[in-house]
Amino acid sequence: MSRLIAWIDERLPLTKFVKNHLSEYYAPKNFNFFYFFGSLALFVFILQIITGIFLTINYKPDAASAFASVEYIMRDVEWGWLIRYMHSTGASFFFIVIYLHMLRALMYGSYKKPRELLWLFGMFIFVLLMAEAFMGYLLPWGQMSYWGAQVIISLFGAIPFIGESLALWIRGDYVISDATLNRFFAFHVIALPLLLFAVIYLHIAALHTVGSNNPDGIEIKENKNNNGVPLDGIPFHPYYTVKDIFGLAVFLTIFMFVVFFLPEFGGFFLEKDNFVPADPLKTPEHIVPVWYFTPFYAILRAIPDKLGGVIAMGLAIFVLFLMPWLDRCKVKSIRYRSTTYKVLLVSFVVSFIGLGYIGMKAATPTLTLLGRLFTLVYFAFFVLLYITSKNEKTKPVPDRVTMHD
Amino acid sequence: MIRICLYLLPLMLIANLAHTASVGELKPVFIDLGNKASLQRGAQIYFNNCAGCHTLQYHRYSKFVDDLGISEEMVKSNLILTTNKGERTKLGSTVLNSVNPDSIKEVFGVVPPDLTLTARSRGPEWIYTFLTSFYEDDSRPMGVNNILYPNVNMPHVLWYKEGLKTLDDNNILSVKIKGELTQKQYEQEITDLVNFLTYVSEPAQLERYSIGLWVMIFLVFFVFITYLLKIEYWRDVK
Amino acid sequence: MDENKGNKSPNRRKFLTNLTKVMGGVGAVFAAIPFLSTMSPSEKTKMAGAPVEIDLTGIKPGAFKIIEWRGKPVWVVHRTPEMLAKIENQVDYLADSESTGEHQPQYAQNKFRSIKPEYLVLLGVCTHLGCSPLYKPGENKDLGLEWKGGFFCPCHGSKFDLSGRVHKGMPAPYNLEVPPYYFASETKLIVGEDSAS
Repeated sequence: MSRLIAWIDERLPLTKFVKNHLSEYYAPKNFNFFYFFGSLALFVFILQIITGIFLTINYKPDAASAFASVEYIMRDVEWGWLIRYMHSTGASFFFIVIYLHMLRALMYGSYKKPRELLWLFGMFIFVLLMAEAFMGYLLPWGQMSYWGAQVIISLFGAIPFIGESLALWIRGDYVISDATLNRFFAFHVIALPLLLFAVIYLHIAALHTVGSNNPDGIEIKENKNNNGVPLDGIPFHPYYTVKDIFGLAVFLTIFMFVVFFLPEFGGFFLEKDNFVPADPLKTPEHIVPVWYFTPFYAILRAIPDKLGGVIAMGLAIFVLFLMPWLDRCKVKSIRYRSTTYKVLLVSFVVSFIGLGYIGMKAATPTLTLLGRLFTLVYFAFFVLLYITSKNEKTKPVPDRVTMHD
Repeated sequence: MIRICLYLLPLMLIANLAHTASVGELKPVFIDLGNKASLQRGAQIYFNNCAGCHTLQYHRYSKFVDDLGISEEMVKSNLILTTNKGERTKLGSTVLNSVNPDSIKEVFGVVPPDLTLTARSRGPEWIYTFLTSFYEDDSRPMGVNNILYPNVNMPHVLWYKEGLKTLDDNNILSVKIKGELTQKQYEQEITDLVNFLTYVSEPAQLERYSIGLWVMIFLVFFVFITYLLKIEYWRDVK
Repeated sequence: MDENKGNKSPNRRKFLTNLTKVMGGVGAVFAAIPFLSTMSPSEKTKMAGAPVEIDLTGIKPGAFKIIEWRGKPVWVVHRTPEMLAKIENQVDYLADSESTGEHQPQYAQNKFRSIKPEYLVLLGVCTHLGCSPLYKPGENKDLGLEWKGGFFCPCHGSKFDLSGRVHKGMPAPYNLEVPPYYFASETKLIVGEDSAS
């Protein structure tokens, strides 16, 4: 075996790679629960690719046969139902994992210098993921697929001057049709996965360049021993490989429970209306995007003007890109920040969840009012953060990491 | 840890609220997909009464053999009631019928919808409530109306079983003409039919629960082992 | 690799690592099964490939009928007594007159290559490169003086006799294949399986 490895090493830096990125890559030893979600996100990405490939074997991207081909997979293809459920559950779990992953970054200041580029790549992945999920959702060609896409694409029409042409160009037709389905299939199966793969690679490369942040927000590279090893660092392999396998086991237990016992998840993961084939002549009573888009959908609906709503929704995502520059506090972790910041972040999270709930419901006067209130709180987070972070009253940050259980 | 629970609480609340919203007007029905006898009865009722107008276009006859626990011959003689070019429709065909969409639309005003996925899009409770909510209404072309689905175009095909009911001003149903079955017998037959349609909407249900149990047992054990492995290595870390 | 840094129980560590690897491996194998299995024929394909029924009453003596089974042409020939008389046992111009090759079920390993002599069932696919040969039952000057009837493949000129046995020196190497079949009744032939399952 060692001779084989030596042979490879002469031709490809295998041993060097394993050392630099695993056995001699030092990560902070105080990672907590929130640090599982990076590796879990990578796992879900690979799972989606594999299950996606096997779905593509039998799926037919033609408006006349798409819906039937999904039922064919569910009934006639051996184990087709399991592969389908893993893919649909995987889509929702991808967002659960990513939102928690992003929350970690907000709590511990993982977007701050020198990790701004890491954060930007991550935000780019988030946007690509939303596009990937949106296009994937059209493929079953159910009522919700069709009408959800119709509503969202028509938003592009709100853009002045170029809007209508842009929507026409995206759709490839005057309404969502077979032409749209075919191109969304090509983007969902090939274009976006390739892009995602590339940006995820860059994301991890950027991470390994600067090293991970940690719950105390301390730079472990500032305290090295005589051998150049960070005092608070432990080699990723075996400590985090072993811990992440445990994390994966717990994740799989929850994930497989949903796949086998609750694949529809009360209509949140597989919506009831999507078991009705798309009908261009009949709009369902209640069009909602899938749960992971509802916070942004609520922001869209909060603004009474169509273009205004589109701008607000876009801004809600764009403003996150600016976090490294909006947050002017030098202290990274919430553990050592002011009560003001803690209140701001909790309010932000509460408003995000609140918006998510409102986005699922039909627009009543009360919910519309609440939606506007939460939208305000959402954007206020960024504004107030910018203002208050300049001269924030922080607690003293320790030199060395603290180990909570 | 406390922080995690605080984040989870609003999520659980939302999931609960979102679910209880629309269950009000639907009657409960006991679905038991493990009861093959019930599925068989349901299949028989379906093919004798519904298959003439409704299709199950995504489902194949051949699946009934294993799923309902009956022989190929029984499927062919009892459930395949259509022909194709003079010969009985093949076992491998999907469940279609000889309805001409244009003609039937003239009679009923709509083409009777395909029912393969109705138990998933509307739910078993909806179908059960629908089939037990017909009442006499002379103002309608078919002479009946439905509490759950006002001004429905479908006639009360099963009236010969249930009998014909009338609806009074307090929305209470009472029997006007008796059917072949008692109320209890009719409810049992509709339960069988809904059971069958629930199976048709997702045949995978017959196996995913039992396979899932084994997967969960393996994974729980795997969690335990990997946890021991983790704490064993992490004893190094202070 | 620093896995023994301060390691007080290397055996326990090795045991748990190996146990995890084994369990993980077992899990991976079980997880792989659905993915490998999903590529096998679906219910739709299996049913489309199901045995076909052929009604023999319409096939007059000397007549030849083609039916599709699993996407391939199946021939049923109602051979006349004259045709049967022409089918000899050891004939020098045949490459495999005893049908020693594995191109027919055991019940068709005779000079008539069939269960009942009067009904020949063959897969109409030339054993050379897959064209479908033509039925040439009578004498035919173009096919040579010793032609006693049989099948001729127009693509590369392979000749087969009235039992589907290939002549010597033909591009085709084997006798025409006999698919599995059985008689469900005097007038009903089932092609695709040896007996009712």
